[in-house]
Amino acid sequence: MKNPITIAIDGKEVQAEDGERLIQVIRRAGFDVPSLCYYEHIDPPLGTCRVCTVLVNGKPMASCTSKARNGMNITIHDPELNDTRKAMVEMLFAEGNHFCPACEKSGDCDLQGMGYQLGVNASRFPHLFVNRIIDYNPKRVVIEHNRCIRCRRCVDEVLTTDGKRVFSFANRGNDTEVAIDYEQEATLTEEHAMHAMHICPTGAILVRGKSLARPFGDRKYDIGELANGETVPVVFPDVHALKNGDKKVIATVSLAGCFGCHMSMLDLDMGILDLVELVEFNKSPLTDIKEFTKKVDVGIIEGGCCNSENVEVLREFRKKCDILVSIGECAIWGGLPAMRNTVPLRECLEEAYLHSFTSEEDAGIIPNHEDIPKILDKVYACSEVVDIDFFIPGCPPSANHIWKVVKNLLFEQEYSVLFSEFKYD
Amino acid sequence: MQKVIIEPVTRVEGHGKVTIHLDDEGRVKDSFFHIVEFRGFERFIQGHPYWEAPVLVQRLCGICPVSHHIAAAKAIDQLAGLDPKDLSPTATKIRRLLHYGQIFQSHALHFFYLASPDLLFGVDAPVEKRNVVAVALENKELAKKGILMRKFGQEIIRAIAGKRIHGIAAVPGGVHKHLTLEDRDYFLTGKDLPSVDTMIEWMMEVMAFIKDYHGKNAAWLDSFASYPSGHLGLVNATDGSLELYDGRLRAIDADGNRTLDDIRDVDYLQYFAEGVEPWSFLKFPYLRHLGRENGWSRVGPLARLNVCDSIGTPLAQAEFEIYKNYTGGKPNNHTMHFHWARLIEMLHCAELMQSLLHDPDILSDDILRKGERRPEGIGIVEAPRGTLIHHYQADEKGMITRCNLIVSTTHNNEPMNRAVRWVANNILDGQPKLTDTLLNQVEIAIRAYDPCLSCATHAIGQMPLQAVLYDAAGNVLDERLK
Repeated sequence: MKNPITIAIDGKEVQAEDGERLIQVIRRAGFDVPSLCYYEHIDPPLGTCRVCTVLVNGKPMASCTSKARNGMNITIHDPELNDTRKAMVEMLFAEGNHFCPACEKSGDCDLQGMGYQLGVNASRFPHLFVNRIIDYNPKRVVIEHNRCIRCRRCVDEVLTTDGKRVFSFANRGNDTEVAIDYEQEATLTEEHAMHAMHICPTGAILVRGKSLARPFGDRKYDIGELANGETVPVVFPDVHALKNGDKKVIATVSLAGCFGCHMSMLDLDMGILDLVELVEFNKSPLTDIKEFTKKVDVGIIEGGCCNSENVEVLREFRKKCDILVSIGECAIWGGLPAMRNTVPLRECLEEAYLHSFTSEEDAGIIPNHEDIPKILDKVYACSEVVDIDFFIPGCPPSANHIWKVVKNLLFEQEYSVLFSEFKYD
Repeated sequence: MQKVIIEPVTRVEGHGKVTIHLDDEGRVKDSFFHIVEFRGFERFIQGHPYWEAPVLVQRLCGICPVSHHIAAAKAIDQLAGLDPKDLSPTATKIRRLLHYGQIFQSHALHFFYLASPDLLFGVDAPVEKRNVVAVALENKELAKKGILMRKFGQEIIRAIAGKRIHGIAAVPGGVHKHLTLEDRDYFLTGKDLPSVDTMIEWMMEVMAFIKDYHGKNAAWLDSFASYPSGHLGLVNATDGSLELYDGRLRAIDADGNRTLDDIRDVDYLQYFAEGVEPWSFLKFPYLRHLGRENGWSRVGPLARLNVCDSIGTPLAQAEFEIYKNYTGGKPNNHTMHFHWARLIEMLHCAELMQSLLHDPDILSDDILRKGERRPEGIGIVEAPRGTLIHHYQADEKGMITRCNLIVSTTHNNEPMNRAVRWVANNILDGQPKLTDTLLNQVEIAIRAYDPCLSCATHAIGQMPLQAVLYDAAGNVLDERLK
């Protein structure tokens, strides 16, 4: 080293080169700090995602853009800081339309992988449901702007054989978007286009015909260290059912869901026969009880709110259940039905009832009657309507994950969640 | 005028509600089966890349996502320039195996978790008993078989699509991955999962049960909610046999005359239209040349066995002949016979899975074909609950511009309304008091159709019903909660 210095990382003394990028020092010393936009060979680093934030002498700074100086005191692991990093990733999810269930990059997506690594089960920020385009004009690629997190990797990294840039940032601040030079893009070879798709940390850049990467089980975040029994750093429930010796009671409902989550609960297979010995099902699609007949310990909610009836039922659940758990992406942020949130409701109704291929000519009406509930202007997450105590992600969540959480809520049974059981798709 | 409200009626695509209107003498004037949810798929899928359709659209339903996945797959194959005959034998067989696996699990779910309590305990059994937990206590062996049969189907799906619910199997022009020897043998050895041979064995036991049950309850089964109707389903293009994956559309009227004569499925638009009523979010498909009043058809197992000429697997064919004989070869319009027909299809799927699992083609890795882009794609399959139509248009750049979906249960919208009307007219009419049995019978009529989501909203029990009877002044005369 030309100018060796000493810094402290989480209390440990580490040698570094004066002016070296902190993130490199940290990783070389064997510590782990997550990052999303960082690419070693891009200097100065992009510094756009801020996920690699650490405390430098008590002050939060991005470790990729910070330079090591003698005597620095670096903190990586600190409960508040860990939560802040998590919050930044959650913000990224809420900012765009990251519909993991319908995305072909799912499983290979770095943003998603980061969510799994940090144990993000629900974003604490309200989903913005921005209205962005999907650009089909380029020759080889399709740009899905809903998924772009403005990391700038493509701007710096994607070059034609002549070394010309293809992407650039347009506008500023919150309105920043990635612009594309169609002429340059048309000269990209397939190899270059594939490279662009791979370096994009989300599914924003797709190469036509090549985007469905690999089957379930073979994708980047299905294999490797994550598959070998590693567990997700989940936050465990901080509420539990009352210990009063009575048989525990569960209620379930599917609001604006597809019932996949309920089907997943039944995927316990033979375990269902043991389960009914331990718990009693009250109001649920799984029983014949239509109204709550007693106080319920845990209410399991699938689906968000798409009509007035969903809201009424959800509110009733909040009143009658001690603990409410949202399961599945629909209950957590709206899920697939929420894809209509970027389209005016009127257009959805007109397309279905007036303009569909099989609509009758001249006879068009849109259903509206005292006996059917009102459709809401948007699909709402359950947590926007009532307080929800816990969230289990997935589409649908794995049966094991669901029942581990429920058993913890009911009997305080400890559990751990494998990466293979923690998915957003 | 009085209005009887039954809400929520579950086991439909979403949630449902029944209202029955009585005149001042308490006679039934009219009845309605309202579907109370609306998604907007046809609009919000516009703008999305066409190759995302199967993964997106299967999330319409968590019980039969594979049906939507496969119908959408056939449609995007066409957008990619390939018709069903252009796919590789391996891709076609893997898709068929997937399809039969999901029909098997879906029918198992409906029969064991839903119908079995009624069939075992009868319609007069108390409410607390009418659920699968009670079945498990009285007949643990039957419950275990039901669970394992559903598991078998789900595992077939998992092996092919990567997970049991909402997996990925289809890509434009083929399937995502081939099966390994290990994948395949898991279903044959019987070691970690009862084998496909066991599935067939168990199905023969279930066939014996249902025929016995029919023998003992013929009067009720042959009359309850029976009414004449048209029937629609796919049949094999060559020999008119039962066809679940790819065939011709055939429809008959209540007497067996052809109303749709083996048309190419891609021509469906020339023959079908959909009506809308203000009181339901679900549309009303009908055959254009017969009009809205008479052009509706039932779909699903009852309809499929009415339109087809034979079944292509030996054990199921033998059962089919017994079933057909029952009505002297004429169309079967008995709603309650849906259950019997459903089980014959389950047996057929088990036999088909057995033969595919022994076919070396499914292990080959020749799974993809390429074609020239087309602007339109139509995919029609027989989902467990009936004929399913997916129709997409995409521009030359790959963006979906328009979409039309006619989901199986939509065809059964009018039939289910008629079934409710039948119960209202024949059972409710003139009754001053609502009893448990009365409400239950409305459910039974609807349940026979196995409307989508029936299991999830009703897996171990009955539909939760609330019936309220108001007198002319709006006072509650009677209120029953189940």
